[in-house]
Amino acid sequence: MTSFIYGLLLYIFLMIPPVANLVESIMITHMHMQMPFLVIAGFLMGKLYQRRFPLFFEKWNNNGIPGITLFMIIIIYWTIPRTMDEALTLQSVEIFKFISLPFLAGIPLRDSWSKLSSFGRNTVIVIFMIKYFGMGALYIWWPSQLCNNYLLIDQLTLGWGFITTALCLLLYLIYVFMINPSDYE
Amino acid sequence: MISVLKKRHTTISLIVVILFGTFLFYIGTDGFKAFTAETARLNDLKEEKPVFPQITIEDSKGRTYSISEFENKYVLITFLYTSCGTVCPQLEKNMAELYERLPQYVGKEIVFLSISFDPTRDDPERLETYRKAFGSDGDTWRMVRIVDKNELDLLLKRFGVIVIPDGNGNFTHNSAFYLVDKTGRLSEVMDYTKIEEAADKIVTLIESEKGNKK
Repeated sequence: MTSFIYGLLLYIFLMIPPVANLVESIMITHMHMQMPFLVIAGFLMGKLYQRRFPLFFEKWNNNGIPGITLFMIIIIYWTIPRTMDEALTLQSVEIFKFISLPFLAGIPLRDSWSKLSSFGRNTVIVIFMIKYFGMGALYIWWPSQLCNNYLLIDQLTLGWGFITTALCLLLYLIYVFMINPSDYE
Repeated sequence: MISVLKKRHTTISLIVVILFGTFLFYIGTDGFKAFTAETARLNDLKEEKPVFPQITIEDSKGRTYSISEFENKYVLITFLYTSCGTVCPQLEKNMAELYERLPQYVGKEIVFLSISFDPTRDDPERLETYRKAFGSDGDTWRMVRIVDKNELDLLLKRFGVIVIPDGNGNFTHNSAFYLVDKTGRLSEVMDYTKIEEAADKIVTLIESEKGNKK
């Protein structure tokens, strides 16, 4: 219950117009701060839904694959340059962002991650690593503006943000493959 | 038995999720056609064909008029500001090249118009200097500004030009060749880096119209 409250508070905080406007005014905080926080808010709130509807999750997301697929679809959708632009210019898209990221990405992530095998988890991380390297390269080397609402310099910053995230994922994967935790126990 | 059932349920939900994803991406990108808002904007403009509003234009010679000045002529438009050091000079250089490719039409069938969206700094005097730098004659290719802020915003909005000031006196903006037809409607938005393609398109348009008249 506590985690639900924290998640709900975070969710409400992110919805406060000045907060939303501030993080959305900078491209990198829009994508790498607001969006992940929305997912986290959903993740925290997810516990309650899991308890309320255990049968639903058990039945339809038994092995975690549908859930994690939904999570990936939503996250990838929000990295399309156009969706970020339209979240700023179209109210309906903004609303969809605030619904889809916590409820269609955060909650499925919570329910699915623990059900996945370590192979499944690493696959997800590899997919995101490749995608983030790709997106980083796209945002850095694309010669013109991808988003009409942001400056080119913002685009460049976001590109490097993607590369940094991808590097962190890579480091994690190297760590997982190289180190056997039981050696240190 | 139970595990088979569970497996089947999971398969169903996976299919539902994938269908939903496909639908979402399809809607979000206009059928996989527009992944950036800019592409979506261009596609929309081509369908809408907005009318150039009746607003007051002031050129580098200090003359003022509305778009009716160019009635029965095509008008090729670019949007710029003279303090711009990056895209605009390139845009205008390409416009000059396009101008040179259409000697038999300029003045008679088509006029060129460079519109500044920075009217406070780009006064006629400054536009005049800019005009000379790009070898425009000030008549068949004019450098103009729109003094009234509301009128300027109306035009930019209607033609989907997004201009964002960066706080240091510069702007980030999208660039293209805008072709307004003889009735004052926007008929084409063309890639400003593909000069030959734009020239071909304009020639085809003008010639096909001439053919229709005969």
